[in-house]
Amino acid sequence: MKIRTIALLFILFGTLVLVSLMYAQNAPEASERGKEVYENSCAHCHGVEGRGDGSAAENLLPRPRDFTRGLYKIRSTETGQLPTDQDLFDIITEGMPGSSMPGWETALSANDRWEVVAYIKTFHAGFKENENPPKQITLEGKIPYSEQSVETGKELYVELGCVECHGNVGRGDGTSAPTLTDSWGFQTWPANLTQGWTFRGGFDTEDIFKRFIGGIAGSPMPAFEGDSFLNFGLTTEESKRLIELENKDEMTEAEEEESGQFYEKMDAAVDIALTIKEGGEVSADDIQTYNDAMKIVYEKSWHLTNYVKSLMPEKRPEAAIGNNVLRSQYVQGALPALDAAAWETFEAGYFPLVGQVVIEPRQFNPTIDGVHVKSFYNDTEVAFLFVWDDRTHTTGDETDETTGKPLEDALAVQFPVKVPQGPTAPKPYFLWGGRLPVYLWHWKASTPEQVTELTAKGINNAETQEAQGELQVQSTYADGQYKLWVKRALKTEDKKDLQLEPGVFVPIAFSAWDGSNGDVDTKRTMTSWYAFTLEPVPSSRRFVYPPIIAILSVGLLFGLRAFVQRRNTEDV
Amino acid sequence: MKTYLLASLTLLLVCCYVGIVGITFAADSDAGEMEMLVFPEKYKPMAVNNGGMISGMVKFEGDKPEMKMLEVTKDVEVCGVTEKYDESVVVGEDNALKNTIVYLIDITEGKDFDKDAKLEIDQKGCKFTPHVQIVPVGTRLTMLNTDRVNHNVHIFSNINTPVNKQQTKNRRKMPLAGVKKAEGPVSVKCDIHGWMSAWIAYVPHPYFAVTNEKGEFTLEDVPAGEYKLGYWHEACGTNSASPVTVTVEAGGTVTQEFTLKLK
Ligand code: HEC
Ligand code: HEC
Repeated sequence: MKIRTIALLFILFGTLVLVSLMYAQNAPEASERGKEVYENSCAHCHGVEGRGDGSAAENLLPRPRDFTRGLYKIRSTETGQLPTDQDLFDIITEGMPGSSMPGWETALSANDRWEVVAYIKTFHAGFKENENPPKQITLEGKIPYSEQSVETGKELYVELGCVECHGNVGRGDGTSAPTLTDSWGFQTWPANLTQGWTFRGGFDTEDIFKRFIGGIAGSPMPAFEGDSFLNFGLTTEESKRLIELENKDEMTEAEEEESGQFYEKMDAAVDIALTIKEGGEVSADDIQTYNDAMKIVYEKSWHLTNYVKSLMPEKRPEAAIGNNVLRSQYVQGALPALDAAAWETFEAGYFPLVGQVVIEPRQFNPTIDGVHVKSFYNDTEVAFLFVWDDRTHTTGDETDETTGKPLEDALAVQFPVKVPQGPTAPKPYFLWGGRLPVYLWHWKASTPEQVTELTAKGINNAETQEAQGELQVQSTYADGQYKLWVKRALKTEDKKDLQLEPGVFVPIAFSAWDGSNGDVDTKRTMTSWYAFTLEPVPSSRRFVYPPIIAILSVGLLFGLRAFVQRRNTEDV
Repeated sequence: MKTYLLASLTLLLVCCYVGIVGITFAADSDAGEMEMLVFPEKYKPMAVNNGGMISGMVKFEGDKPEMKMLEVTKDVEVCGVTEKYDESVVVGEDNALKNTIVYLIDITEGKDFDKDAKLEIDQKGCKFTPHVQIVPVGTRLTMLNTDRVNHNVHIFSNINTPVNKQQTKNRRKMPLAGVKKAEGPVSVKCDIHGWMSAWIAYVPHPYFAVTNEKGEFTLEDVPAGEYKLGYWHEACGTNSASPVTVTVEAGGTVTQEFTLKLK
């Protein structure tokens, strides 16, 4: 009797272990804890049922992910495959830059993050149904970064069609960019490849490699699997020859036949690749053909990755504060024009922009990352060069539905009317002033050669100055980037204008509008106050100042000594 | 003890069952949000002798709508050669409605698929042809590109694996793997040329037809019997909730007309 009981207990236990193992293979079973974490930290965006319809969702673009469709952008897996648990854990830990998805590294323990991974997987049946673990992209044969590799990659960028969406130099301004929508029907933009820090899934070489091989599910960004590559299945020589033939206006009969053979060869290779993918039977020869073709694909992919990498700086530029504060450079004689080479000789001050969310209407989904500024001045004038990326050139052909105002790209540069005396003196309110007024330069894409001077005492309280000063303006828009050049006298007659002097730190702030993103009025991106200074003239004065200061300090010291001595004697 | 074991096992089985049913329900309710085709649980191919035929016409109710011309915003030298129209409603003479799927909802036995049928969607001139394609489950679909421009083939499946893959400019043929489950119709797009749009229905049996310019459809070799006849149209919706019942006699012909209006 006893033995039987024990045996039965064993069987029971065994079954339970087996069943739990079956589940464990795919996923750690979702626990109460996972649900709790989810409902406390994620549901207000992603919705209690994971449909991406939480209470905060409506204002956000991209929308919080709807987990029920199993579409995940950032995967280490091949196209069409679900992400691995590690992929989900990593994205929850890191968050998704360029969207409202926060990183949870500090707010949630690693254990809680694993629990919530298991929980969000329950929203999509596919995670359970898949018997096999998802296929991961192999990172074989990495080719180190080199000029040569970048050159090759650049050709591939055009050949494979990255350029269609990401644009000539990668600023996300390709000819297909304005019409893209995501899988839920919302407008979406191609990544600006010159701003790696805005990528959802990181911008290490391997990240970029995985993103285009696997595609970005839920977005228009396609996968570039083996047979997506031009001339898949041809050797490098054959490939060259075919391109040569294809570029001919007319082919002879012999050439027709020759190219026909190339196409047949490619079709056969594509067929083999698909058969292998489907898990079908292929011969050893076929496998050889496939491996040869894939070797070329992998090489090309690394070259392309190196090219994409070459488009962006190593990291996000440091904001223009502290050591990076914007310094206007002194030049003797005429100030450099918009296209002068002199602008390339030093680093720009970088002013990161954020959506204006204080006053209605707000901008929760900014598209302009920041503005880069350089400046030169001479004895009478100052010139600024403002540079910022915007994927579209919008000049007010369309109007905003609620305000009826034209939607157009614009930039405003903000200064206080009076420079505060000292670093702790109050500055005007950063949202275009208040009790203390601000002085503004307002530039609009529809009048590209003109900057309007404004005085403002609040974001909705700006007036065009009656006396418009002598501002010289030039601007260009090319490949997803605006360049605006403004020149003004250091001193003006107008009391409402800012007066500039070397060595003084002048508060400066920016507002930018992207018309195609619905920016109008208070709906815009902005910075709070930064500062810039006309770097005191070096050279001659550099040699004059120190001796003067030395003499003065020595004098002061003597004076002080005399003073102290006198007091001492008086005391006695 | 035995009873305990039995009880636990039963409980386990019940739980599993409930779980699985739950999952299927979840999938169903997802699908139900869109206008979908309805498929039989199972289908068994067999030889059909002396089958009947269902044919007829689909008409559009109301005034013939003006076809909206689409703006060709890029690759104009290739894509702009022919004018592009929004093909979501194509009405011909006599109010004939093109691109309507007419099909048998509840057939469980009948002929096999035509194994020689070419399953292709051409992208020539930056336009998908046909606009509605029927694809048997498990069968490859080949995307054609003779445009010498880049296209990306984006198939918005929900039940099957979605596809979004670049078809570079000289990839004349790009076969896609057969899908596992009946689904659809699902939308097909090329994001590079935003105006390109088509539909694919992944089907488990061959009794599906798409109406031509004259609004005509035919379903041949239907085994004698009573069937529910359904339709689907991208802008006019489905009759899945209240399908028409037809009775097919051996060797006979049944005709059926549908009149559809915009949703
Ligand atoms: C403030 C809103 C917000 C909160 C809170 C939030 N998310 Fe997100 N999440 C988003 C948005 C928006 C996206 C989509 C970003 C995109 O598509 O680019 C997203 C995407 C995701 C993705 C998809 C990743 C991929 O590769 O596509 C996962 C997974 C995710 N969130 C998990 C979580 C978890 C887990 C929590 C809670 C611990 C959470 N999110 C909390 C806004 C939020
Ligand atoms: C059909 C348009 C399209 C094409 C073609 C395209 N992309 Fe993209 N790409 C996008 C869109 C849209 C996004 C933004 C995805 C998102 O986060 O929603 C993107 C994002 C990216 C990102 C950022 C990934 C991240 O982590 O956020 C990289 C890198 C990238 N693409 C590289 C490429 C490369 C390389 C190619 C060519 C091989 C390419 N893309 C082709 C549309 C495209």
